Amino acid sequence: MAVLRDSKLKRILQWGDVRRRKPGMWAYALNRVTGLGLVVYLYLHLVVLSWLAQGPEAWEAFVALAKTPPFLALDVVLLAGLLIHGLNGLRVTLNGFGIGVRAQKPLFIALMVIAAVASIVGGAAIFFQ
Amino acid sequence: MENTLSNTAARPQTGAGSFGWLWQAITGVGLVILAGLHVTAHHYVVEGGLRDFQQVQAYLRHPVILPLEVLFLITVTAHALLGVRAILFDLGLSDNAEKRITQALTVIGALTVGYGLWLTWTIVTYPAAP
Repeated sequence: MAVLRDSKLKRILQWGDVRRRKPGMWAYALNRVTGLGLVVYLYLHLVVLSWLAQGPEAWEAFVALAKTPPFLALDVVLLAGLLIHGLNGLRVTLNGFGIGVRAQKPLFIALMVIAAVASIVGGAAIFFQ
Repeated sequence: MENTLSNTAARPQTGAGSFGWLWQAITGVGLVILAGLHVTAHHYVVEGGLRDFQQVQAYLRHPVILPLEVLFLITVTAHALLGVRAILFDLGLSDNAEKRITQALTVIGALTVGYGLWLTWTIVTYPAAP
């Protein structure tokens, strides 16, 4: 049983460890890490939205808190996660259907550049709108 | 082949893995549109970055927006839990364990969507201030 557990733990650590790995492993690990982060965010988001069910006063108190710089910084992290996961996920889907398989490495790099630029632009909009 | 990503998650060809992968892809493509609409409507076109209570209520009461938000809730929950399932399946579990995980995640998904629908209903029907 201990061997089995070690084996399963090793599998998780393997995809999480991208040191000295090719871009394919980075793409795989990025998709999983951002995906797990977004699952955690989804449930946090649903819990936070329960304040809406308590009426306007409870919601406005949360809105005031959500407009403070630490929360806005987390919004930028969320936006980056959505962009990385969404764009990389589209590439994985296209490749899964046999589209653009040979160009997947430059496609991955191009999409991550787009994600980075859009995160910066979107982040600026979040802080300065 | 030097130019390809050898370690990217491949599309399983058969069985439950293929079924999960296909739904993951379909919901993922749907989310690009639905999540884009949700994030833009709630954060980018609103002065100050967040809707106040009346604005949220008015938005959700819109006859086109309400079904889209419900569809978003169902799609994002399915996509998230299919993703968790894929990660757990990659651990190399037994068939029985995989079956139990699928059942547990289905229950979690149903509860999540149920909670979201209750929340939406509560907001939409919340009485107006006197």
